[in-house]
Amino acid sequence: MSSGRLIQNLRGGRALIVAEQDAATAALVATLGRLGITPLHVQSSAEELDPARLDPERDILMVDGDLGAGLTWPLSPLAQLPPAPVVGLVGIEAPSQLRQLMALGATAFLRKPVHHGSIYSALFLCVNEYQRRISLERQLQELQHRRGKRRFVIKAVLDIMHRRGSDDDTAYDLLRRESMRARQSLEDYCEAYVLQSAATKGDKAEPAASPGGGGSDDRDAATTGRKPA
Amino acid sequence: MPLPPVRIGIMFSSTGPYDVVARSMLGGARLAVEQVNAAADLPIVLDPIELNPGGVPDAYRTGADRLLRSGVRHVVGCYTSSSRKEVIPYFEKHDGLLWYPSHYEGFETSSNVVYTGAVPNQHLIPLVEHLLRHHGSRAFCVGSNYIWAWESNRVLRENLLRRGGSVHAERYCAVGETDFDQIIAAILDTMPSFVFNTLIGTSAYAFLREFRRACRERGIDQAATIPVASCTLSEPELEAIGVEAVDGHLTSSVYFSSIASAANARFVEAYEAAYPDGPAACADAEASFVAVWLLARALAEAGTQDVNAVRAAATRQKIAAPQGRVWLDPETLHAYLTPRIGRSNANRRFDILSEAADPVRPDPYLVWNSQRLGAPDAAQLRLVS
Repeated sequence: MSSGRLIQNLRGGRALIVAEQDAATAALVATLGRLGITPLHVQSSAEELDPARLDPERDILMVDGDLGAGLTWPLSPLAQLPPAPVVGLVGIEAPSQLRQLMALGATAFLRKPVHHGSIYSALFLCVNEYQRRISLERQLQELQHRRGKRRFVIKAVLDIMHRRGSDDDTAYDLLRRESMRARQSLEDYCEAYVLQSAATKGDKAEPAASPGGGGSDDRDAATTGRKPA
Repeated sequence: MPLPPVRIGIMFSSTGPYDVVARSMLGGARLAVEQVNAAADLPIVLDPIELNPGGVPDAYRTGADRLLRSGVRHVVGCYTSSSRKEVIPYFEKHDGLLWYPSHYEGFETSSNVVYTGAVPNQHLIPLVEHLLRHHGSRAFCVGSNYIWAWESNRVLRENLLRRGGSVHAERYCAVGETDFDQIIAAILDTMPSFVFNTLIGTSAYAFLREFRRACRERGIDQAATIPVASCTLSEPELEAIGVEAVDGHLTSSVYFSSIASAANARFVEAYEAAYPDGPAACADAEASFVAVWLLARALAEAGTQDVNAVRAAATRQKIAAPQGRVWLDPETLHAYLTPRIGRSNANRRFDILSEAADPVRPDPYLVWNSQRLGAPDAAQLRLVS
């Protein structure tokens, strides 16, 4: 989700309702239609619930907690994301029921019998909280990726200290500045630096400040954003 | 078989903070009751029970509860959204039907409410079109600090930004505020294409007077240079502004008393004969008039007060209303209405500048009239060294 923009219009969406078709969900079906969402009642064994067939941009799963255990789908490892946003339909408010809906990845609840005036709020919360978790998951992935490359940062700092006789702060500042110029993360830049440094070892060429290729070619590296060789 | 006289509730705050428009609505409803009861071809007699909550939220709740417990199934009433929200739980609990006759900000559909007033795709979006075409794309928003202004400004901002326009500022002040010196100075500093006004009541009248005066002092023709546009300003309110600043304000509405049609001429004549001392007929008065007629015709067709039967019958009616044809969208129970843009004149009426060719389908959730993503908040810039 970019710069905090919220999804406010759910037109063209599809709601897969895993619940009995009864009076408790009658208001749900009527209001979904008014919101431009196609409601579809499905059994918990329906092939429509196959994660491979779900589209998180289009589909919303609405699951009745009173149906009992049995329904399950894989959650993503980092942010526990279900294959599409989930609204839990709550009949019995017992913690075991609520916990089961949480385990399915519900990001909003709707109390049964479902009331017209609460549906849009629940959907709004459900899809936007789902998007927020996607965004957090991406950030976590990025941080893990960068954490994995910490050793290249250390090696690059040491290499520059060694080659230039500078202290660690100066070496770090140089690498940080050059990575920004190359439009790379510091970690990716340092990895490329270390690999290039290893390759050029012995011919006395110093890769510092120019692992993007060519010391005076900063502008080129910055505008193309190309990776170091 | 004709029904015995049907008791209906009529609930408007004819005293209190928004009494002017509410009395106009009460007038529209009373007039329709008289006409229904006198209509030889309509086998229905309405027996209205009037209730004045005085603008007090608690009085709406107790009033609605009392009416519904006494067996009344149908109530025409409410002006503000907050009063409507107060009573809806009672209509749902007792299975009654509220006939709500005022324009509002949308984002609601209750099966126990019939909505005969306009929603934003019928007033605000046509206004944005008009402003962009005739006045420019730089807005300055001034509003009373509550839901009507917040939501209206959100819709305006999203539509303007999408079309390359901009919003210089959104200024809110307390309901009833009448000191606008700072806001007017800010407007004159930025010289927007127009001011979008969501002020209500006395605040709106004071702002329009003060803004006109400040422009005049600077030699600016306010109405031509920085017009003030709204979806609320109506005929009874023009009288409250005063002669100095009454003309040149833009309003988007589905009804103006100056509509040239036989049906409207009959309505205005009957209304003015019944209420010679005012308040003048306006959009919400017409919506109240239409609500009672719609209710009466639905009752006559259903042959019962039963809410399910009357609601179903109501969606089959077409009313030849003062504004033109009006009918209900069965899905949302909101009305098809005809958007118009008017400009106030010195006679405290509106000159109609444009009108839609046909009634427009209501879209209370802006499902068909907004983007998937909302407008971004203020630019989020990151500091880089």
